[in-house]
This record gives sequence, structure tokens and C-alpha cells, in this order.
Amino acid sequence: MKAAIIGSGRIGCGFAGHLLSAAGYEVVFVARNPIMVSHLNRLGCYRVRLANGRDQTEYAVSGVRAVDTADRAASVAVLAETDLIVTAVGPTNLASVAPLVADALQTRSTPLNIFTFENLADGGAHLRSKVATCLPEGFPLDRFGFSGTLVSRAVTQRLGNPLSDEPMVFVGDPPDSFVVDATHLVAPVPAIASMIVADNFAAWMRRKLYIFSAGHATCAYLGYLKGYRYIHSAIRDGEIRSAVVEAMAEAQRGIAAIYGEAFAGGPAHLQEIIERFANAAITDSISRVARDPFRKLASEDRLLGAARLAWEAGVHPHQLLRAAAAAYCFSDPADAHAAELQKEIRVTGMRPTMRRVSGLKADDRLGRTLVTRWRQLTRHWHGDSVLLSLSHVHWA
Amino acid sequence: MKIGILMMEHNKTRQQSVMPDVVQILTDWGVAVDLIYPEQELIEIANIRVEHDLYVLKASTNLAMSVAGALHGIGAAVLNPYPVAVILRDKIVTERILRTAGVPTPDTFVTDRAEHLAPLLATGPLIIKPYRGSRGRGVRVVWDADELDELSSIDGPLFAQRYQKPEGLDRKIYCIGEQVFGVERVWPALSYEDKLGRPFTITPELRDIALRCRRTFGVDLLGLDVIISDGRPYVVDVNSFPGFKGVPDAALRLADYIFAAAEHRRQQHPSRARQPLEEMQQ
Repeated sequence: MKAAIIGSGRIGCGFAGHLLSAAGYEVVFVARNPIMVSHLNRLGCYRVRLANGRDQTEYAVSGVRAVDTADRAASVAVLAETDLIVTAVGPTNLASVAPLVADALQTRSTPLNIFTFENLADGGAHLRSKVATCLPEGFPLDRFGFSGTLVSRAVTQRLGNPLSDEPMVFVGDPPDSFVVDATHLVAPVPAIASMIVADNFAAWMRRKLYIFSAGHATCAYLGYLKGYRYIHSAIRDGEIRSAVVEAMAEAQRGIAAIYGEAFAGGPAHLQEIIERFANAAITDSISRVARDPFRKLASEDRLLGAARLAWEAGVHPHQLLRAAAAAYCFSDPADAHAAELQKEIRVTGMRPTMRRVSGLKADDRLGRTLVTRWRQLTRHWHGDSVLLSLSHVHWA
Repeated sequence: MKIGILMMEHNKTRQQSVMPDVVQILTDWGVAVDLIYPEQELIEIANIRVEHDLYVLKASTNLAMSVAGALHGIGAAVLNPYPVAVILRDKIVTERILRTAGVPTPDTFVTDRAEHLAPLLATGPLIIKPYRGSRGRGVRVVWDADELDELSSIDGPLFAQRYQKPEGLDRKIYCIGEQVFGVERVWPALSYEDKLGRPFTITPELRDIALRCRRTFGVDLLGLDVIISDGRPYVVDVNSFPGFKGVPDAALRLADYIFAAAEHRRQQHPSRARQPLEEMQQ
């Protein structure tokens, strides 16, 4: 069995490659980074280090090879002959791989599943629509399954130099399951032990986005204001830890109202998540988790989507809105989107920015609370100062 | 990740150093932390090797400084950097560098003979400090030439600063990387609570002074003693790796910073960090 993975980054190598190789697939990466392609072909392997506190286990992923997307014919040939295609290119790059996938599908006569490992609610549908635009009218696209997936593992680091002859090391946490959207699969369905085939994929997606990712973002944005560099540092701060637990609990009640309490999980589920955040071995940086605030502040994304869901369930999302207010303060100079967001607030004001970015009006209840929280946070704030106390909003 | 911390022993009555908490946090994060007390060991100099991703120079004893210098010399990463820690131990050198950087300090003089200070007292009192002192030990205000005889017991050059009458509480400014924290406290601090003081919001002027010091010395863990006199701030002391007393969550913030420094070093020099110089040269 062959699997082609488009993308040789952290999720491509540290999750998809590891998982599929362990499931017995012959793995070929289709990547646009020629240095990485050359490295993988030279060594034929890399390593995955799964770390939880002081426990670390390292796995060798061997027998892999790679083709450069610049070599269009070779890339199409790989995708045409494979038994499974996986994309792991990042949500913003997904559309760019559509022409390549379309070319490959035109050479195939057998069905094929394409999994998007992008943690996007509509990743499969999005790629399918982009591929469709690259195909001739009447092409039988229904023979191919485009399915979104939900990846459980956080792969936070790529260590090593691809110019060297030492295998690269991808560092992540141990979870190895992924949820795939059952509704778009075509036969034959790949047999992968840790794959959860879900009919209610949207519910799984919302649960992950609104509980785990909302907690992660809350930790990152409050941690940024308090001057921490890592998620594992921020979650050790008592004020932030409480805020993260409460934010996730607000979201959990919103999820429970729609999908039931059993699916939403209880305090034990939140505790498991907190322990993942506290895992220092994966050195998850605040700047990585907080980056791209425009996307994370969007109306249906982790913070405000969860806040809306909680609100509809009769829960006032105090902590989620405070986290969103903190996200509106995110001004990491290394993050171009953060600089753009701060510029927009300076030029047009907070209310119009909030309306454009998050779709919230200042005169509705959520919008009003968010603006109030933002004003509380930004009083005496100089952009480069450190927040000493969340409860008293005291800046260093 | 392996971190070695060069420590000094304190008497048991000393309260609440931040370091035990820092060590506990780093250990909880899975870091192998070795506490190194040079004064308690017989060290064969040839056996000093780089065995950690990062060394933290917390102690300021002569032997700890020398061990840090030896490690620096064979390629170890030391926090704060050894050459800067040496400079900051010497108030004379520090004062000159602060002046060059445009950091406001009181007029400052140095002499080996107390009687040289007599003419200066005609225009106001002086504060005399041991030129390698710390924690306020041996600091005294001299108002009159009659008092100069009492300075003969001080070992080494006399470091004299024009006394600036402080307004309000003393201000301690701490830097952890780019982050600047202010704590105001009474002087002299008599109790532990006095030493903790209370945090205050740093003004842009004080932030600029703190960051200028940090940039000038190229050091990330820094403490400044600042007094305000006639509405103007004066930096009257600079310390490498101070105690950060009164900074909220100081231990967690320091652990976060030290972890990042070690991680940065490990990523930059994944194989070099633990190699002795001889092996690196081969």
C-alpha cells in the first residue's frame, strides 16, 4: 500500500508520515521545499520524538522518499499511483495544491480517498471545490473521497538541519488518533488502527475547536500579556490556569447543549487537556499558538464561535470574551498579522475592527462585553509592558 | 535538557531566595538541573567540562566566577554571560560604561586614599560603597571630613557617589529579557516584607533607562537601584542576576526565561553544547 503526503512539515512528517508508515504504508512525500526533499531522499528516514514530561520515546520513520512539486510530472505520477493522498500543507496553502491533485486524478481509473490533515471544519469540501475548478466539465469527481480530518497530536518542533546528514527530528505529544469525516469516504476505506471514522464529523470538529483550541488560545493570549514564552509556563500561572479551565468549561456547556453532556465530556476531559498544555517536553511556544489572530478571532473560530455557542446555551462566556479581548491586544512584533491587527485598531478604532474581524457589533451583548474587557486590559498598557495581574489588570 | 546552576551557600536564616522555586519548576518541566556549589567541592581544573546545555551563574563568589569563566572559555553558554558578570561586579567599570551609555548616575569618584575625598565634601555629602560590594553591605553616607578616618577599614578602592536626596521610596527595577518590572520599597529594608516592597508601573523614562542598561551590557537578568532626586532618576547600582524580590511570579518568569535560553542554545548548537573545547577543535 502506498500513501502520498503532500507537505513535509511538522504534521506531514511528525504525524501523518509516522502514522501511515506504522500502518504499513510505503510513504512518499510530495513537497515544495527542495532542501527537505533532497534530505529525505538522501537519508530515507527521519525521527519522531513523542514527549510527555520526562518520558520521551523516539521512533524512526524509515523507507520514505520525496518528490519536489517543481517536478510536476514526477509529482503527478506519485499521486496517480498511490492508495491514499494526505495533505498537510496548512489551511492557507490548501487551495494551492488543487491543480496538482486535479492533474493526478485525471490519470487515475481507480477510486481514491484524499484526507486533509489541516484541522479545518470543511477541509475536504474546500479542497474538493478547488480541485473541481481545475477539472474538465463532466469529470466523475464522485469517485474520489475528499475528507476532512481532526488531528489529535500537537507537533511543535522540527529539530535539525536538512542540509546535514543527520535525520531530522519532529517533536510532538503522544496522542496518535485522528477523526475522519465518514460522509465523504469512498471504498476502499483505508485501514488505519488509530483512525476514528465519524458520521458526526462537524460535532467532533466543534468540540476540538471550541474546547481544546479555545483553551489553547486562551492560554496563549493571556500568557502573552503576562510575558510568558511557553504554553507550559503560562498554564502554571494560577490566574491563567483558572481562566483556561473556566473558558473551556463555558465552551463545554455550549457543546453539551447541542450534542449532549456525554459527548462534551466533563471536568476530567478538561483536566486531560490542561495536562497536555503543561507538557514542557514539546516546548510549545506562545507565539506559535497565538499567531494569526485574524483567523483565531473570526466569528465562528475557537474563541468567539465557542462564546456564541455558550451564550446560546444560556452561559455568559466571560472567560472566552476576556481571551478574545487579550487576542485583540496580541502585538508580537515577529507576527505580521498581529502588527496588522494593531494597526487596524489604531487607524479605525476597536469597534469597527471587531465588527470586521469578528462580526460583532458593539451594541450587542457579546460585542459590548468584549469591548469592555478590551478597554479594561488596555488601560495603562504600552504594548511592550507585562501584565502582572489579570484580576486587578496591573501592568509592570 | 541539562542546566547547571552555579550557586553559593547561604546561611539558614536567609529568607525566601527565588532559586529553590526556579529549580523546582524546571525540574517539573523535565529539565535535568544540577546545582553546583563550587565552594563545597575539590575541583580538578582539567575535569571542568561542558556537560550542560546552559549554565546559570547565580553565585558571585570568587570561585564560582572562576568556574564560570573556565566554562565560558571552553565554549559553554553561561547566563548571565561571564564577561558581563565580571564587569558588573566592579562598580568602577560599571559606572564608566553607564556614563558612556547616557544612563543618569550621580557624580562618582574613586580613590585609594580617604583624605582625597575631603574637598568633595565641601559641596555636599557622599555615599561610600565597597567597589565590589552588593546588597547594601558597607554602604555609608559621609557628611563631614571628620568621618573619613572611619573609612580606613574598607578594603580596596573607595567608590564615592554624590549623595542625591531620595524622594519617596527606593525603586528597584528588574529586567528579565525585554521585560521590565518595578518594585518600590523602603530603605533600609529591615524585614522580609520590606524587601518584597510593592510592584509599581514603570514609567517610559525608567523603562528606557532599564533597557538601555540591558543593551549596553548585553545582559538579560539585571537589577537596577534607582533613586528619584529633584524629579530626576539616578541609577545608583546595577546587579547581575538579582533576587527579583517583589516581582509577581518571579520564579515562574525566571524559569520560563532560563528554559528558553537553554532551548535556544540547544537548537543553535545541538551537538556542540556538551563538547569540551578540545573535541570541538578536532
